[in-house]
Amino acid sequence: MSWKDSRWTGVAVIVLLGLLWEVAGRAGWVHKLLFPPLSVILAKLFEIVASGEILQHLGVSLWRATLGYTLAATFAIALGIVMGYWRRAYDACEITIELLRAVPPPAVIPLAMVFLGIGDALKVFMIFFACSFPILVNTIDGVRSVEPVLIRTARTFGLSRLRIVWKVILPVAAPTIMTGLRIATAIALILTVISEMVGATSGIGYFILGSQRTLHIANMYAGMLVLALTGYAINRAFLYVDGYLMAWHKGLTRREQ
Amino acid sequence: MRRIPWSGLAVLAACLLAWEAWAYWRRDLAAYFPPASEVLVTLGQMLGSGELTGHVAATMKRFAEGYFLAAVLAVGAGLCLGLWRWLYNAFEPLIELLRPMPSPATIPIAILFLGIGDEMKVAVTIYACSWPILLNTLDGVRSVDRVLFATAATFRLSPWARFWKVVLPAASPQIVTGLRVSLAIALILVTTSEMVVSNDGLGYYVLESQRTFQMPQMYAAVVALGVIGYALNRLFLMIDGWVMAWHKGATRREN
Repeated sequence: MSWKDSRWTGVAVIVLLGLLWEVAGRAGWVHKLLFPPLSVILAKLFEIVASGEILQHLGVSLWRATLGYTLAATFAIALGIVMGYWRRAYDACEITIELLRAVPPPAVIPLAMVFLGIGDALKVFMIFFACSFPILVNTIDGVRSVEPVLIRTARTFGLSRLRIVWKVILPVAAPTIMTGLRIATAIALILTVISEMVGATSGIGYFILGSQRTLHIANMYAGMLVLALTGYAINRAFLYVDGYLMAWHKGLTRREQ
Repeated sequence: MRRIPWSGLAVLAACLLAWEAWAYWRRDLAAYFPPASEVLVTLGQMLGSGELTGHVAATMKRFAEGYFLAAVLAVGAGLCLGLWRWLYNAFEPLIELLRPMPSPATIPIAILFLGIGDEMKVAVTIYACSWPILLNTLDGVRSVDRVLFATAATFRLSPWARFWKVVLPAASPQIVTGLRVSLAIALILVTTSEMVVSNDGLGYYVLESQRTFQMPQMYAAVVALGVIGYALNRLFLMIDGWVMAWHKGATRREN
């Protein structure tokens, strides 16, 4: 297999860039302040993890993110099922939701600050606000894609509305809803960082910005690394859960080899 | 003639009335919670006096620069990575590494390298917007039906003709999806970077109004941002409907 087709080419590229970073910092090609050598950053990373400092900030951030995300998922899926199933509900709510969705979430932060202060409530609300929309849109989409034939068949069997939702609509809409939930995990992390940069005294976003402002540059890079790893871990965790919950769907839609 | 969603407009009107009523009922919160009418009047005043124009222009300039540069760079990169397998293999792990990092986290590093001016905000916006466009373009190019390639080979199309007539049209729906997602992201990043460090722009204005307790102005600016976001989205949908009309006709569900 030539180097063109090998996976290791990409790994080599990363290693090369890492080496370049290290050498550039040490040889003085770049300003040492702006670009500490990779080894210094990694050492700093180890230091702040060992001291528990970064884990504290990260813990706070993840707590806010999880809370906001869960609230958003519960609310948005429920509303999405209602709006997807009943055309009237959709028509009634759509304009208001479209207008709210158009406002960039950061612009809402100062507004929310007025009512909620700069504590956890602010961050949780912002995450809830921003995550609701992708989940809602995808849920509506998923519910709408349920074939009317399936619903009619269920009615023929005498299923109540609630059972139809549980046994017919949710399973059919589930893959699309999962897509919305997956998008929302990335958004949750983004809003956590944003709200922590604009008004906070703790959290990983606050840590990274604070490190830059006090010129603890290695700390800043280390924080970003932690954030990237966290994002990666959350994504993998989600894919794992998705693979487990949606196994029936993946089996069903797998391409025949 | 599209049917007008009367119930939707009614609900919107009801929400605004509820806002108005609640603000009047809780007059004690007047400092924090101006009624909708006051906000709209203030917005009108600000537009008339030109107070808002400078900020809107600054924000829109950063948005436009960031978004269009990102579009050009990311579509180009996505096409290259999608078409040449070795390039994709070389850069894929790097992409997978950088991708999970939330884009606002690049703001401090951008401030460090580019200062606190427009370059920083545009750079951050370009970085953030590139991701959805890149990933969607990549996906679109790589998922072009192999049959189309075989057909192109049968017709002995040149590589350029194959790209222009087969790959690009086949990938364009995905590319457009990426461009649409980036629209919102661009506005978010411009607003955020203006809030973190700036002295003009709508994001800055919202935060500054809040800090100086000019509440109606703050609400008005938020409404302005919402209107801009909504308008950009409608504009995009309009252009999308026009450019991608062939695709919408081809994939429309039979009624």
